[in-house]
Amino acid sequence: MQKLQTGKRPLSFYVLSAFFGLFVLFLYGPMSAIYILSFQGPSGGLTFPMRGWSLHWFDALFSQQRTGDFAGAFTRSMILAAMVLLLTVAVSVVAGLAFRRRFVGAAFVFYLAVASLIMPGLLVGLGVGLTFQTLGIQTRWFASALGAQLTWTLPFGMLIMFAVFSRFNRAYEEAARDLGATNWQIFLWVVLPILFPGMIAVALFGFTLSYDEFPRTLLTSGATNTLPMEIWGMTTNVTSPALYALGTVTTLVSFIAITLALGSIAIIQWRRSRRPPGITTHSTKEQE
Amino acid sequence: MNPEDRRTAQRGSIELAGVTKRFGETAAVRNIDLKIPGGCYCCLLGPSGCGKTTILRMIAGHESPTEGAVLIDGENVVDKPPVERGTAMMFQSYALFPHLSCMDNVAFNLKMRGMGKDERRARALEMLDRVRMKSFADRLPAQLSGGQQQRIALARSLITNPRVLLLDEPLSALDEFLRLQMRGELRHIQAEFGITFIHVTHTQMEAVALADMVVVMDQGQIEQAASARDVYDRPRTGYVAHFMGGQNVLAGVVTGRQTGTVTVASGTKNITITAPAPAPALGTQFEVAVRRDRVHLSRAPSQAADPGVNAVSGRVSGIEYQGTWLKISVEDACSEGFVANVPDDKFFADPLKIGDPVIARWDAEQLHYLVARSGKRSAASAAASGSSTVAAAG
Amino acid sequence: MKVSPTLTSYLQVGPLLLVLLLFFGIPLLVAYSFFQFDGLDSVPAFDFVNYIDVLTSRVTLSLYLKTLYYAVVVWAITLLIGFTVAYFLAFHVKSLIWQMALLLLCTVPFWTSNIIRMISWIPFLGRNGIFNNALIAAGITDQPLEFLLFSDFAVIIAYVHLFTLFMIVPIFNSMARIDKSLIEAAHDGGASAWSIIWDIVIPLSRTGIALGSIFVITLVMGDFFVVKVMSGSQSASIAMAMSNQIAMVQYPPAAASAVILLIVVSLMVAAILRVVDVRKEIAG
Repeated sequence: MQKLQTGKRPLSFYVLSAFFGLFVLFLYGPMSAIYILSFQGPSGGLTFPMRGWSLHWFDALFSQQRTGDFAGAFTRSMILAAMVLLLTVAVSVVAGLAFRRRFVGAAFVFYLAVASLIMPGLLVGLGVGLTFQTLGIQTRWFASALGAQLTWTLPFGMLIMFAVFSRFNRAYEEAARDLGATNWQIFLWVVLPILFPGMIAVALFGFTLSYDEFPRTLLTSGATNTLPMEIWGMTTNVTSPALYALGTVTTLVSFIAITLALGSIAIIQWRRSRRPPGITTHSTKEQE
Repeated sequence: MNPEDRRTAQRGSIELAGVTKRFGETAAVRNIDLKIPGGCYCCLLGPSGCGKTTILRMIAGHESPTEGAVLIDGENVVDKPPVERGTAMMFQSYALFPHLSCMDNVAFNLKMRGMGKDERRARALEMLDRVRMKSFADRLPAQLSGGQQQRIALARSLITNPRVLLLDEPLSALDEFLRLQMRGELRHIQAEFGITFIHVTHTQMEAVALADMVVVMDQGQIEQAASARDVYDRPRTGYVAHFMGGQNVLAGVVTGRQTGTVTVASGTKNITITAPAPAPALGTQFEVAVRRDRVHLSRAPSQAADPGVNAVSGRVSGIEYQGTWLKISVEDACSEGFVANVPDDKFFADPLKIGDPVIARWDAEQLHYLVARSGKRSAASAAASGSSTVAAAG
Repeated sequence: MKVSPTLTSYLQVGPLLLVLLLFFGIPLLVAYSFFQFDGLDSVPAFDFVNYIDVLTSRVTLSLYLKTLYYAVVVWAITLLIGFTVAYFLAFHVKSLIWQMALLLLCTVPFWTSNIIRMISWIPFLGRNGIFNNALIAAGITDQPLEFLLFSDFAVIIAYVHLFTLFMIVPIFNSMARIDKSLIEAAHDGGASAWSIIWDIVIPLSRTGIALGSIFVITLVMGDFFVVKVMSGSQSASIAMAMSNQIAMVQYPPAAASAVILLIVVSLMVAAILRVVDVRKEIAG
């Protein structure tokens, strides 16, 4: 790691860049294989070579009944993810506010959340399933699975809110109070808008983590499946590239969510921090 | 000032009575008494940790005093929230809401009070116009420079029609050039609106340039509260003299009394100074200040020469060129450093070198007697220091 | 009505606490209790003696060793890769925007389905897969490599693919907080690049390394689907055995496995936490 001399990069930079490039290839490469194979021709198999190009398998996916209830699972996953998104954002933001002050038991809640984060999902799912069984309540995707998924998304949300609040300048709230705002007004008109990009990040985590969640949901969704469970079912008896088509479709949904979220954050940050082009400190007559 | 402002010019008077603020074990300010007249530009001056910001925040209502009363126009406001006090605060970082345009920032208070959108807009634009920022109405704060942000912050505070404006180191975030420029603007706006300004700063020259009243603080106590001229020219204590700069402080124990003079042992030297009436007793601490530019420097015939009355001898230890004058540091003249500010033409007529033995003389009228560190005040120093009510030192 | 700030905090943290207790704390206790009692029966279904028998049986032991093997190997590889990538991003990428952009590039796959990412290795590593075909085309071998898929190799590759990000982010976070002038001062003092890494960067990023290690190890220890698919059901893990027991509605053994897994994971995490204080790092 030599110091930079007038723009010349040391050898280590190129070596490490190459390494990084390889790593990115490693991350994205195999997935691309799936995307390509999902356009496999009707007579093609699960691996290369490609026998023609078609949308045959997408078609099969949407119309096939025997591989399971794809449409239903997809709908359930989307609704569940939306619910998890809303709950995660609401609970995380409010909890983040709580942690700005000291209170007895703060450490306990913090470690409980961290434990929930690192606990293997299967254990949590097992626990929730058994609890519901003991209480005699039927497990359902919108109840027990929802709760189990929250044990995964809420700690993420909490950690993000910690990071956001630690950079939050309290002077804004004091200024607002000085200007006559009540606590509610401060929260609504100052805190929330400034937190908004952070909330979008939490929403992104909440949605995608729920949408793709598998181990916790497996034991708690009851009689019906979510999309990852459908995918799992198809995985264990892989018979056609319809599985790949499903992979492409579900990744597309994820990508749309990611783009919406990151795009919104980028737009907000850009608006709040840019200088309009051409403005220098001495350009208008009202300047000092 | 328009008639409406003139009518309100006398309001906004502030009084602190016996105010103490403790954070846990430590007291940030102790037993403060202070009166600030309405319409005054008052600067709270002191180093970090002296308590000036704490006082500001107690007047604003963002802190509550542990003991004592804060009165605005004669009414104790200690139990009132900031918005009901008729005060407005300008924060060091300006704290302009980053997600709102300048106009929405300025209109914030009006929105909180429930004013309609059109009326808010009109009033905000009017205020922006008064601070000459009308064309920036739709910009976001991040798009403005430091000086422009300050004007928006001012407009945002002034629209609440406060009696008192509290400024927390408003010029610290600006570069030197801008700082000097914005100083003038603050003074101008204060004169135009006729509001009491309380301005916290750690820069002496800034306070002196702006303020009608300077309150010098140290470690939670007020050292002196007086006009700028009094604080600079007639400091009450050695601390104030040192802090304001521009003064030499001669301090030591009285070892001899003669008619009209006393001899003080200061450092390695014995200095003979014109005494005040009544003269201090033998063995007491005696402190006096002489302005650095009222001192005449001349070459000493030799190292051991006795300088005489109202003079010190020493060696040149530093020469600093300051444009129209030179700062000559003299070591071994008294217990603390001694400095003479010599006009440039006088210096260059016969330039001194480092190590040259010198004698510094002053006239008896230039002496200003200080309240010594032990706290005893002589009649002369009571007459010489400023006019406002001050807390006893020490 | 003035509400005390402390009360407000309790009200605000309430929902989080409630969800965590209802769906995490209590269920774990319930799972624990199940290895004494079988559901509605109040008769102990599982004797402690039987329990010890199961624990020390050869099958269980080999299962644990296998899982630990995976955990350690994956930890080592992800640490190496993760550290290098984080190092590159933190110290060689100068512009903050590029740092964030490249980090995002690595993070985006995390937001897509794990299962899909895992099975995407199958057409890649299979006998007729891309990798083998490329090797044959390049003339490196003339027989497809069999060990690539449905083997320990495949399992480990999949784990590394899925979990390296969990190493990169905490380590990058720690590295980004290192004062760059420390590095420059060391460089001025004549330290070699390796010595800077060993003596400065690694100690100062140990919290990130610890966090990343905790994530990766717990993820591998708790996994049941990657190992099943990528090994072609030839290999197993503790979690996989657990999921089989659950599928056969044998709750007491499943609960027993759960508790033991919990203990093992907790011990490993505690060991890591002895090295670094993590709460300060996270909560700032």
